[in-house]
Amino acid sequence: MTSDEELLAAALHGDGAAFTALYRRRQGAVYRFALHMSGDPAVSEDVTQEVFLALFESGSRFDPARGTLLSFLYGIARNLLLRRLEKKRPEDSDTLMEELAADEDVLDELTRRETIEAVRSAVLSLPAPYREAVVLCDLENASYEDAAAALECPVGTVRSRLSRGRAMLVQKLAVKTARSMS
Amino acid sequence: MKEDYVLQALAALAENDREKEAQPEVEARLLGAFHARHVRRVRRQRRWAGVATLAAGLLIALLLWPNRRPKPAVSAVQPILLVREAARPAPAAMTVASVTRTPSKAARKIAIAPQSHEIVTDFFPMMNPAPSFGRGQMLRVQLPAAAMQTVGLPVPEEHLGDSVQADVLVGEEGMPRAIRFVRFDVK
Repeated sequence: MTSDEELLAAALHGDGAAFTALYRRRQGAVYRFALHMSGDPAVSEDVTQEVFLALFESGSRFDPARGTLLSFLYGIARNLLLRRLEKKRPEDSDTLMEELAADEDVLDELTRRETIEAVRSAVLSLPAPYREAVVLCDLENASYEDAAAALECPVGTVRSRLSRGRAMLVQKLAVKTARSMS
Repeated sequence: MKEDYVLQALAALAENDREKEAQPEVEARLLGAFHARHVRRVRRQRRWAGVATLAAGLLIALLLWPNRRPKPAVSAVQPILLVREAARPAPAAMTVASVTRTPSKAARKIAIAPQSHEIVTDFFPMMNPAPSFGRGQMLRVQLPAAAMQTVGLPVPEEHLGDSVQADVLVGEEGMPRAIRFVRFDVK
């Protein structure tokens, strides 16, 4: 199979088929990263489009020594998302989570889907640095190295943010966790 | 144990969203933008390549000219006579006729038809052998008078540093094909 780097090189020379192949291979991961970070499908599509436009414009800046192409794409998406998040602060879903946690009757009725949505909301409520680490490592199964390259920080920082992010999720889902354990 | 539950919940979320991706419209928009930008980039590169090649060609020509000084006997010929000198039949490799027949749009804009006050020499080829010529552009440039010596035109020694105007014919691929010199009649 043609590597990402080979497809990128061909795309930068104007090969539309290579660009399409690269897009189809990696757009899902970029889209989901944006979705889990923003919670908004429309924003996620915009970001996905902008990421690949940026790849075509400045793909020559990609350095394989600094990480995979996917981590490079995550990095572009992250910058775009952070800019958007700065402009428009997401709703504070802590309140929602507290309400859910306080209402045991509601939690009793949670189906698997509701649990998933509760986790989604909890992830969205995390501060951006922790959310990035959780989304990349726990939802997209990125390696610590790839996450570090995308987040432009050391691997140790990724580990600590991930640990802290998980701990915050535990708190946010405390009641649900307790019920699950029982 | 609590973290285990969170990890399981996260895994369930990841599995639930595993198939989520951007709508096909995004791909269509991107491909359209990709092709449009690529076409613009290629055009820009060709334009710059043409300019760079022209500049390089002129530079090389200027560097070579001092070694081809004309005989002193003709150095005193007045500039106006240079035109008559240049009226000799063009070398076989020249394809000037095709230029006048099929000038490009840009060439039509740029090319200055010889007018009563403007005297031009014939075209002198800058490539040997000259490949076939289809379309191209004419660029008017200013050169040291010494440049005229490269095509065998005599220039008085004291005027070697003067500036002269020239029309450079650039092929579609950006290579300078021929050059002619221009003089304005002061009458």
